[in-house]
Parts: sequence; C-alpha cells; structure tokens
Amino acid sequence: MSAYRLTLRAPLAARADLSGINPATLAGLSAQAVGWLTLPYGNGAVQLGDLFEVSEVEGGALIIGGDPRLDFVGAQMAEGAIEVDGPVGVLAGSGMIGGSLLIRGDAGDGLAAGLEGGRVEVTGSAGAGVGGALTGDRQGMTAGTVSVAGSVGPSLGARMRGGLILVGGDAGPRAADGLIAGTLAVAGRLAAGAGRGMKRGTILAATAPEAPAPGFVSTGPHDLVMLALLARRVPELAGLFGGLTGRAERLVGNRLAGGTGEILVLQ
Amino acid sequence: MIINGVEIRDSFAEAFPMAGTRLIITADTPRWAHTAAASLTGFATSVIGCGCEAAIERQLDPAETPDGRPGYAVLIFAMSLKDLKKVVPLRAGQCVLTSPTSACYSGLEGGAAIALGRALRYFGDGYQIAKSIEGRRFWRIPVMEGEFVCDEVVGSTTAAVGGGNFLILARSRPAALAAAEAAVEAMGQVRGAIMPFPGGVVRSGSKVGAKYAGMIASTNDAYCPTLRGVSQSALPPEVESVLEIVIDGLSEQDVAASMQAGIAAVCGLGAAAGVVAVDAGNYGGNLGPFHFKLRQLMAPVAGETVV
Repeated sequence: MSAYRLTLRAPLAARADLSGINPATLAGLSAQAVGWLTLPYGNGAVQLGDLFEVSEVEGGALIIGGDPRLDFVGAQMAEGAIEVDGPVGVLAGSGMIGGSLLIRGDAGDGLAAGLEGGRVEVTGSAGAGVGGALTGDRQGMTAGTVSVAGSVGPSLGARMRGGLILVGGDAGPRAADGLIAGTLAVAGRLAAGAGRGMKRGTILAATAPEAPAPGFVSTGPHDLVMLALLARRVPELAGLFGGLTGRAERLVGNRLAGGTGEILVLQ
Repeated sequence: MIINGVEIRDSFAEAFPMAGTRLIITADTPRWAHTAAASLTGFATSVIGCGCEAAIERQLDPAETPDGRPGYAVLIFAMSLKDLKKVVPLRAGQCVLTSPTSACYSGLEGGAAIALGRALRYFGDGYQIAKSIEGRRFWRIPVMEGEFVCDEVVGSTTAAVGGGNFLILARSRPAALAAAEAAVEAMGQVRGAIMPFPGGVVRSGSKVGAKYAGMIASTNDAYCPTLRGVSQSALPPEVESVLEIVIDGLSEQDVAASMQAGIAAVCGLGAAAGVVAVDAGNYGGNLGPFHFKLRQLMAPVAGETVV
C-alpha cells in the first residue's frame, strides 16, 4: 500500500489549517490531485501543492513535515494513520474519531480537544487544554488515548468526559478542571489548582499534588485491586510510572462541587 | 465394544440446550479465590432444585487473570437466558461480593450481556465508581475491607449443552468410587466443561417422574443394585454399585471431549479394578436434541487400545 508524504517547501509564514487532510480523504487521489486541494492559509486559501511537495511513499501512514504554524493536523480523522516529523500548531487531533496520530515534536494548545476515539501520541511537549473541550462544547474528550512524553500546559483534561491521557512530564496549573470522567496519569509534578470542580474520574499522580483545588479530602493509603487491573489492561500506564505497586493515597473530590472523583497518589 | 475388559454399552447420553457463562474470580490468595468460587458454585448441582448448575472449571495462574492475582474460572448454566440473568448477579452478590479480597470478572466474550456490576453496583449506595478501561467497563464498590471490583457485564452463550452423562457399573462400592474419582480427575483437564454434582459425581441418578404426583424425578430403580429382581433391572448380577457423572459444557464439543476423557480414564482402570461396564442415561431420545453415543465417542480410544 502506498501513501503520501507532504514535505514543506519552506517554513510557514502564516497559519495553515490542515483539517480534512487525512489518509481517508487522500485515498484514491493522484499526487497531482492532492496538490490541487485547497486549504485555509493566513487570511486566505492556497493549494496544498503551494506549501508542500507531495510524494508517494511506501507504508500506510500519511507523513507530514511539521511546523509550529500547522494547525488542526488530523482533526476529525476517522481512520488511518498520520505521522508528523516535527512540531504542530494548535488543535492537532481535535475531534478525532479513530485512527492514530503520531507527532514527533511538540504540539500547541488544544491537542486532542474533543477527541472521540483513536490514539494521539506526542514525543515532545504539549500546550494548554490537552483533551479539553472544543469551542462551544460542554465536554472535552470522550474516549481514546492521548500520550504526551514531555510536559503539558495548563488545564490538562478540562471538562474531559472519558478516555485516558498519559503525561510523562509535568502538568501545568488547573489540571482536571471540571473533569467529568476519564483518567489522567501524570508522571511528573501536578501543579497547583488541580481538580477544581472535578465531578468523577481519576488522576493518577506519581507525587502528591503541590496544592490541589480546595475540596479534596484524603482517605489515606490503600491497596487497590483496581490499580492492578489497570496496570495489566494498560501496560503503557504501568510503564509510565515504572510499574504500579497497587498502593496509593486516595484523595476524594471535588467535594465542594459534590464530586466523587479521585486523585490517587501512587506509593 | 469392550475396552480393557470394560463393556461400553450400546447406549447414548441425552442432553439439552442450556444458556451458560464463565466467571473469573480472583483474590489475594489461592485459598480465598477458591473459597469465593466454591461458595458461588455451591448448591448448584441440578436445575431441578437449584435453578442453575455450576462448578469450578479450573484454577488459573496469576498470569492468566485480569488483575494478576490467583483465581478460578467457574461455569454457570441455566435452562434459559432469563434464568441465567437471574442467578448470576444473585450468586455473585451473595457469594463473591461478600468474600474477602475477591474480584469478579467476565470470562466469556460475546452473546447476550448478563448483568454483573450493572446489578451489584447499587450496593455501593451512590459511592460506587464506574471505570472504563480499554473498551471494558468495570465497577468499584466500596466495602468494609476495601473495594470490590467487577465487570459491568459478562458474555454468555445459548449454544451450551447440559446433561451429558455416563454411568460407571462396578463390582463394588470402592471400585465404583475409585473409577469415578479417576474420571473426574481426567475430565478436570478438559476446558469448557464442568461436572456440577458433589465432587463431580452423582450417586442418585434419576429417572423422569415418579409414582407420587408432583415428583418430577425419582430414583433410577433400573440401576439400583438393591432392587435387582424387584424392578426391571439394567444391571448384570456382578454389579454391586453404580455412580454417574453429569457434564455441562459451553458447547456440544466440550461435553463430548469431557465424556471421552472420563470414560477413557474409567477404562484405563479396567476390569482388573472392578469396573464392569459404562452405560449412559437417556429418555428414549425424544426429549433432548443432543445424543452422545458412547460407542461412537469411544471408537477412537478403542482403536488404540486392546479391544
């Protein structure tokens, strides 16, 4: 099976909107036809071929050269695989339904916002609102997996409704803001204000949060069968923490919002 | 057909369709996993009086269980999906939820969903937590000892078969018991099938109906050695004791494999150990759609052994 490689002709001078460019929409198109596709660029529109050199490559994944001004990469994708060599701009993988998006670099704000399925992986760091809600939406991502090897900005998993986010580094302030359900795992430090308005869901933290939002009560340390189950069903999660012992301090909250979510501080 | 001096009678076991499922029960130690599994499958010998038939299928290695703890796989069978949906949450709620350190998982994918955590969660009185992990939903129910974790639902099959059986006709009671024990041991290695009676063995095989109104089953007088000559007996003069093994399986093939393994073990002991014949229970072939013909089942074994 062959796919396309989109190589940037030059660093972008304005923001480019790549939503709608994914393996499914390019399937059946010739390299020339791919080059003729139009995409929003700055305050106008250009043909894809003006920004990218289109070449055919072996393998199943659409390969794109990265640029921090490349926005909406993989947005709304339903199937197939996209690999980005380099950084991406805002809202990469937003509203994705299925398939996989691999970013070999950093991602901007709104990574995987409104994600409904599939897998988003970032080898670098990501900006604010990972897995959060799309503008106008009441809830953030509902399913799927997001893995960020580095650190993430503020409001990680804000209003998230389901799925799993793994963060290898630190999480910025106000993580799990209004989190409805789902699982966040942070291997680094969890900055102040985590869990404000949190309803349900779980934050797995390697270290005690610096200052969780008011409204969390500690129930003490426990041996949790659930952690053993989680470790076996999601080996990646266990790997993130270098193995799970099954023992964690359980902070329940946010009680000020009547929530029954939890921060599990792994021991 | 004679295998190792044991007559394989020209008879067949008549079996019925059932609905069945598999649960995986784990605990901190093998002892407590066994306690929960034994409790769950207690008083589940026959649908006639227990509403279901259940037993431990096999012990599981920690590496095989969902949470990496010691565990047991159990099979539960009922006459209909409706009955199965009633007994599974009832038994799990009374026997596994209550058992120290236990957790209860689905051991069968597909088929109609049987409520497990979906029913048991209400015990959590609002403090229960649902957790979706990789496409499967689990419930965490706070209990005094910690947390009870279970699957939201378990799968099921309606292709299960219940009532596979064979009878061991022996010269003495000890000989019948030893042969039955050998059969149960061998059949324990077959996956997908269980022997629901105590220790896998029935000493009170039944026939349909009785002289008393309201009795749907009564003693199988044709195989009672103390009634030889009193009623129409199926026993030769040298037979002093008969034991039966009843098999339920998730499929027809599982029941056949289990019966074959059991009868082969009985024949392995042979006439020298006091086994006279192997027979099977049926109702003339008009009641159950599955017929396990003993001679057909044992033909491959007989071919390899001295006949």
